[in-house]
Formats: sequence, structure tokens, C-alpha cells
Amino acid sequence: MNKLKTISRTDDYVVLSRESRPVPDPGVWGMLRTTVVAIPIGFITVFKHLFRKSVTIEYPFKKRPMFPRYRGLHYLERYEDGTERCVCCGLCAAACPADAIYMEPMENENGERLAKVYEINMIRCIFCGFCEEACPEEAIFLGQEYEFATDSRDGFIYNKEKLLVTHPRPENTLKKMWRKVRRFF
Amino acid sequence: MSDTATKDQKTTPAVEMVSLTIDGRPISVKKGATVLDACRQENIPVPTFCWHPKLRSVGACRMCYVEIEKFPKLMVSCATEAMNDMVVLTDSEKCREGRKAIIEFILLDHPLDCPTCDKGGECDLQDNAFEYGLSDDTRFAFRKARKIRDKNSTFDDLQIGPEMVRNQNRCILCYKCVRANEEAFGEYDIGAYQRGHNTEIDAAPGGQVASLYSGNLVEICPVGALTSSDWRYKIRVWNTQTVPSIDPYHADGANLTLWKDATKVHRATSRMNDDTDDGWISDIARYGYQIATSERRIKAPLVNKNGAMVEVSWEEALGVISRRFKEVKESQGAPCLAGVVSPNLDLKTLHAFNKLFRGALGSNNVDYRSDYSNLPTDADSTYGFMASRSFSIDAVASSDVIFVVGSNLIREHPNVHLKTRRAIFEKLSWLYTANPIVTKSADCSTDEMIYNLGTDEVFLNGVTLSLIQQGLADKEVDTGKIETLLIPNTLEKCAETCGVSVERINECAKRLANSKSPTLIAGELVSNSIARENIAKSFYNVALLLGIVQGKRGQAAVLAKAANSKGAEALGLFPEISATQTATLKNQFQSFPELAGANWDAMLSGAQGEDIKAMLIFGANPVQTGADYNHIKKSLESLDFLVVADLKETPTTALADVVLPLSSFAEYDGSFTNLEGRTQDFCAGMKRIGASLPGYEALNRIAQSLGFSLYADLSSLQDEVSELLDSYNAPERKHFLMESHFQAPPAPQENSLPLFAGDALHHFGHWTEMCHSLLEFNPEAALEISADLASRLDIQTGDSVRVLCDRGDKGNKGEKLILKALVSDILEGDTLLASHNFAAKPVNCFTSRDSRVSYVRIEKIEKQ
Repeated sequence: MNKLKTISRTDDYVVLSRESRPVPDPGVWGMLRTTVVAIPIGFITVFKHLFRKSVTIEYPFKKRPMFPRYRGLHYLERYEDGTERCVCCGLCAAACPADAIYMEPMENENGERLAKVYEINMIRCIFCGFCEEACPEEAIFLGQEYEFATDSRDGFIYNKEKLLVTHPRPENTLKKMWRKVRRFF
Repeated sequence: MSDTATKDQKTTPAVEMVSLTIDGRPISVKKGATVLDACRQENIPVPTFCWHPKLRSVGACRMCYVEIEKFPKLMVSCATEAMNDMVVLTDSEKCREGRKAIIEFILLDHPLDCPTCDKGGECDLQDNAFEYGLSDDTRFAFRKARKIRDKNSTFDDLQIGPEMVRNQNRCILCYKCVRANEEAFGEYDIGAYQRGHNTEIDAAPGGQVASLYSGNLVEICPVGALTSSDWRYKIRVWNTQTVPSIDPYHADGANLTLWKDATKVHRATSRMNDDTDDGWISDIARYGYQIATSERRIKAPLVNKNGAMVEVSWEEALGVISRRFKEVKESQGAPCLAGVVSPNLDLKTLHAFNKLFRGALGSNNVDYRSDYSNLPTDADSTYGFMASRSFSIDAVASSDVIFVVGSNLIREHPNVHLKTRRAIFEKLSWLYTANPIVTKSADCSTDEMIYNLGTDEVFLNGVTLSLIQQGLADKEVDTGKIETLLIPNTLEKCAETCGVSVERINECAKRLANSKSPTLIAGELVSNSIARENIAKSFYNVALLLGIVQGKRGQAAVLAKAANSKGAEALGLFPEISATQTATLKNQFQSFPELAGANWDAMLSGAQGEDIKAMLIFGANPVQTGADYNHIKKSLESLDFLVVADLKETPTTALADVVLPLSSFAEYDGSFTNLEGRTQDFCAGMKRIGASLPGYEALNRIAQSLGFSLYADLSSLQDEVSELLDSYNAPERKHFLMESHFQAPPAPQENSLPLFAGDALHHFGHWTEMCHSLLEFNPEAALEISADLASRLDIQTGDSVRVLCDRGDKGNKGEKLILKALVSDILEGDTLLASHNFAAKPVNCFTSRDSRVSYVRIEKIEKQ
């Protein structure tokens, strides 16, 4: 039983301490297990891993392939003809639990709705992917990119120009399939 | 008025009621009500698209299906009359199936472009599809007929009005816009063209949807088919908050909702209040909020330093004001100070203004009527009596005869105009309009009587004489000496002078005398006339002979013009206040000046003489909107010191030594008293622009710099205002026929045309010039001209016309302006209308302070 015992008392506070447990006597078999048996087992483990393929990679020079549904840096998609898919409907901003998206719509020369300002604050963003899920135009996706640390707060505010840049994206079969399903309906 | 209302209730038989059962609840409604009315009465939700509470039902959308026992099929509740012992189910399985099918059919041909649609978030179709639509896939497996981003099968967005964009793809053909335009507004500029699947809602061929009420069509559209250019792609509704507000221009007091976000107000919509507006607001009220966000606002106080206006801090400006005001007060005495305030400012500002001048500075020279000339000088003028009669806007809709004299109703009181239309549409009332010009009301009036210019009182005297001759006058009124009271004193002479035939006058008089609840309205053409008192007496005589001023039936009033004119009247912001009002003010202000004050006319002549030395003009712009540009300008220039507070730079601020920036109605909390005397509060929607201050705060700072304090905190000021409003009683008098002598105005010179300077259709006063949406309707000062005259002079809309002042002996001779012609389809005859809303074109240089009618000559400028 852990008994609480008052060991000192001042005017302001009480310091409590646990009564230390008596260490049990290991016995002969215990002594042997921790010395004669354990050491060879340790060596066996070490030498086994020496000849295995290493788990770590040389990160800045080599990069690990991300999982297809990894939620990294956002990007804005374009149509085949190069026009932006985003119509600035505001649903991603409405869905965003971190309030990280700010947008202002405008009208282009064809009378179509378009984003004048589209900003994501990557410091606020929690990469939950709700914006991607809410987007009715399949315009915003969370990509594979994860290296976007900068040394200024402004650098984390991604505007439309930055988000429309095509990052290297591995073929994302699941997403493509999902898009096909959505389009069918 | 209240007496008559209770009497009406007693005499009318009890309304027949019908009892039915809806969803197991027993409900009783008035006979003639629909099942939908019954459901709404009990707050039972029934989805609708084409139904609107203020329009007739058509049953076009069939969304309001309900199941009624013993009816084999689902019934549209908006077009089914409630009957005794009906058993209605609004949420049965069959009902839900029916509604589901309707949504399915609508969505077959409705693009799913909600992300780009402006209505997204406040769309009836979105809401109803979510609530009542399909949860699984549609039965129709084919692709949509109209595909997004497919230009061949879709309509392009089309600008069908200055502020209206139509997207036909989204239209569900509920015809609400077309119906509202025809039923409620009496406009026919939007309609449905083509047939079946190809039906298009479009502006009438060759025209635009540019009526005064066009914004309402956008507001009632259940989908995003009609959107407003102003709100288009601006902000999403779910990112906005709403605050209640009031129309800051017209005296009708239409209720608004301002939609704001953290930075500014983005739009204004109606807020249904059956007492004042029925949910319809004019475009001036709708787009008038833009004065708050305009680029043309003054953002800091300006002080005239060696002829140039320099932006300074409030402290510096107040220092100049206090120094100069003290100088004038010490050297010349307090009566040399005068103040003019705009009746478009809120009650607290008006009261603070009164308190500053009467309580603190000790000058009785305050006035709010800077748009008028030849003002009454005694407290018990008949004009003042008729202007302070109680009037109910809602009662207009239920009166059986409406008599409008000297009022371009649609421009002065857009909501009263709609109420008269409603009375005609619903109650088949008679509308008699008598005006020197043809107005919009002509298209629905029983008889539009056009009397000769400047013979307003003759026409009214004709009605008086006709009532007496036909023996229809109130029996208690002594009509013995009528021949000596009126000039001309026979009906025939009156008819000859005013140009309206005896038969028409008799017909009108008979109808008025036989009516149960007549409404008599006199408007701006009476208020603005220099024979105001005479006309008011004639108007009073008619109302007296009909038993209206005695409180026997109906209502009659000269309607106030601006949002807070009635408030200014009740707060006593004019020099000739009654003894009781003086006593109340004395009680509140502690000190009160003994000397009688100068009204606006006297201030102007006093400024040219030696009587007035310094003036404070608050929100008003008399140089632009008052009568006689040159006279007012000369008077204000000869002042020693002029302070003007306004929202924007005006011709009046150009003459000022100090200009103070005022906040607009969207930037502070306040209240207006509308023409009925109904005080309604409005709330701030955004932060104040620049260093601008609400009127009461600016006045308090001025007072503090002079060593006074107007209020300790705002609630005490508010209490004082409420106390004054509560204690205000409209003047009473003994009733007898008044004398009204007509003096014929001098005959005009040959080839000269009469001109009225007033508001353009889409403008009010001098502030609306800042609203870019209203400039889309009326971009510049126009000379409205009848089609007949235009064809005679070979003038088309858009032509430049040189207007020359045509007054032989007066100083205005030779005044000329170049205005754009606007051929009006309403005007008839030779009368011209010019808009005074634009600072660049001071059309009031043609008007004068001493003649009833202004005459001009016009010549077309040939294009080079």
C-alpha cells in the first residue's frame, strides 16, 4: 500500500511524500537472469539488426513516399483549359474548424464568379481536410507536400498564386476514383 | 382618429369564421382565407415558392401540397379556400411524396450551380430541397438539359435593369416577380416571354426594369434567377449579421434590415411591417445605405485657411468655432446666431441642436425647413394645423375613397403610394388625384384632375362649393357666409379658373361625401408653394365639410416630407412654436431666450442685413435644395461665420468657414419619427467613417468648447426626447370655414414653360448622389419633359437642352443650365420637371421665393 505521509509542514503548504517500497531480494535465479542470460540475448538482437535493412532514411537527401491519403499542403486545381476550378463559393471557409481560410469573390470579364482573394493561414490550419470534403467544385485538395516551414508568419499565409502552383503530386488513385464517383452523380 | 377606428369596429358586423382541423388541431379562420393562411396562423410549416403574403395566390409551383380528407388528390393549400369541417394533413406520407416529386421535377431543369449562385444560403429551393427533397437518386437517369459550363444549352446572365441581373437557367417560373410588379407596384416593365420550357423572364421589349420598386423583385425571387448587381458576388449571407434599421429619407418610415460584416454594411433589405410598408421598400431606401460606404464622404473636419479648405483635427475645428461664436455672441448678441438643421437627422441630434441654440446659446433662431420659402410666422397657422393632423399609413389601404391633391405621391411617399394601390386592388377604392402635373398615380386613379398651375386653392374651393351646393356638407358646419369667404365664390368660376369641369368636381365631391372612411392627402406641391397657407385653408375647408377634422370619419393631412420632419415638429425645431411647447422646452432647458426667433426666410434676409452674423447648418444643403439659388448663396456668403456639418461636400459646405464630418444613419443608433408620428429606432451597422461623429456627439463637443454640456450620457438625452415626444399634442382649434382668397399669378411670357425643381425618381435630397446604385438609375440631373412637348421641340432622351430662366424683372434673369433631356411617358402638357439632387446642376437657380410658378425657356443644343 502506498501510504501518504506528512514529512514537513510550513505555514503555506504541506509537502507529502510516499513511503518507499522495500526492494525485494532478487535471489539466485534473478541474479543469473539479469547477467548470464540477458547479455547474450542483447547481443543477438543487436547483430540481427546490423544485417537488416535500415528503418531510417537520410531525410533531406532521400524522401519517404507518402501515403495516398496523406493530408499535406493544400493546392488549388485547375480545369484542363487552365482556368481555375475555384468559384469562391465560401463553403471551405464555412467548413473550416480553424477559421484558416479567407476569401473575397469577384466577377471576371465573362461574368463568372472567381476568387479575388483566397488565403489559407497555414499556422491556423489543422490539416483536417474538411475544406477538401466541402468543396463542391473539386477545386481544393490537400496534397503530399509537407516541407513548407519558413521563418516568418507572413510566409505561412498562402494566397491564390501560391496555392495554384502545381506541387509534385504522385498519382493519387483513390482521389481520382472518388472524383469519378462524384462526377457520375 | 382612434375614436373613428373604434366606431368602425362597432358598426361593422362580426367577421364570419370557418373552423377546420389541421394535423388534428382545431383552427378557426376568417371566411375566405386559404388553407395555407390557416396553417401559417398556427405556425404549421408548409413549403412554398410562388406564394407571397401580400400577393394573390396563383398555385404555380405546387409546392404547398396538403392532403385534405375526401379530396381524391393532393390540393395546393395556397389556392384552396378553407371550409367548415375540413380535415387537413400537412405532413402525411402522401404529402411528402407529392412534395418530393415537385422538388424532383424542379431540380430536373435547375442547374446545381449553388457555389456560384448569389442566393446560396438564403435560397428557398435549397432549403426546401434539403427538407422535402429526395434522399436517394432521381428516377430520371438522363443528364440535365442545362449543363453548367455548356454555353449552347444555357442562358447567359443578362442585365435586365440598372441593378438587376437575370439568370434564366435558375428560374423556376413562379411568376412572383411579374405578379408583384403588376399587383403591388403597378409597373409592367418585367414579364414572361416565350412558352413552355423556353419561357423567359425578361424586361419589356426595348426597356429595362427600372421602376422605383425594382429591388423588391430581386428580394422576393425564391431562387437566384434575379440577383442584384450591388450584392452580386460580394459576400455570403452566412458571413453577415443583420441589424434593424429605418429608411432615412422618406417620411413613410419603411423598415429596413442592414446586412453587415465586421467592416461595413453590404446591403439593405425590407423588414415587413404592415403598419408602414407591407414589406415593400423603394430603391432609394434599399440602396440609400451606400451613403455610409461612399468614397465621397468627408472624413475629417475642414477649416477654411486663406481660401483653401484644410483637414484639421476636431480640437482645432472646435477651437475655431468656439472662438468665432463667442466673438459674435459678445459683440452682437445671441440673436445674431442662427441654426438650420436637416429633418433627415435622428431625434437625438435634433433635440441636441435645439438645446444648443435655445438652452445654451440663447438664440431662438432655429429652423428645419430650409427647403421651403415664405414660411408661416404664427403658431396657429392652418398649414401647421393640417400638417400636424394624425395620419395612419395602414388606414390608407382600408379607406374607400382616397383624395390626393398637390402631391407626386410616388416620389414623396413611395409606401403611401403602394398603400393607395393596395386599396384600389383589394378594396376597389376610388382614387381621385388633383395635381398641376400628371403623376404615376394617374394610371390607377378614377379621375386624374389636372388643374391649371398655381390654382391649387381654386380647385379645392370648387370641391368645397360643390359639397355645399349638393347639400353633402357636414350639417353642423355653418356654411352661411361661404360667398364672402372664398374668391372665386361660385363653382362655375372656380371650374373655369382651375380648368377642371364642374361635372368632374361634383363627381369627386359626391364620392368623398358618400365615403365611410375617406383619406385626404396633400403633398409637397402644397408645402412648397408660397400660397401654402391659402391652399391649406382650402384643404381644411374640404376636410371640415366632410367631417374629417372634427374626427367623425377618415383622415386628412398635409404629409411631412423627410424621415424626421414630424419629429422636428414635435421637438419644436422652428421659431413659431406654440405656448404649451414653449413651456415644455423652458422646463427642460432651464434658460430659454425671450426674444422671438427668426425663421429660415428671416434668417436669409437677416444675413443680408445686419441681424444674423453666424450660422450653423447641420446636415442641410439649402444652396442646392432650397428655393432661389442666388438669394441663398448671397445670404450665406454675407455671413461673418458659417459652420456646415454634412456627410459630403456640397455647394453649402463650399461657402463654409468650418466643415464638420457627420456620420450617416448606418453608423449610430437613433430614431426617426415618421409621418404618422410613429417613432422607430434604428441601429448602427458599422464603425464610423474617418473622424465623423453622429450629430448629437458633434453638437455636444461644440457645446463643450463653448463651456456648456448638452447631456451627461446618451440615455438622459434619450429620456428628454421621449419626454418631449410624449408631451407633444397636435394643435387644436375651433372649427369654422376659413377664408381663402385666390390671387391670379401673373401671366407667363410667350414660349416660356413652367418648371418644377424636385427629386428625381430614384433620388431624395442631396445625399443619394453618393449612392452608386442610384446613379445607375438616374446618373445626372435630368429635365423631364412630356412626349408631346418633346416631339414638338424635336428632343429625344439624352439630348442636351439649354434651360434659360425667364423672369423679367428679377435677378435670376439670364440664369442658364445645360441639362440632359429625359422624355417621360407619364408627364403630359408643357410642364417640366428638373431634379435638384445633383450638386453640379443647381436647378433651383430657376425657382424663386416670391412667385408660385417658375418659368423657363428651353432650347435644344444641336450635336456638333
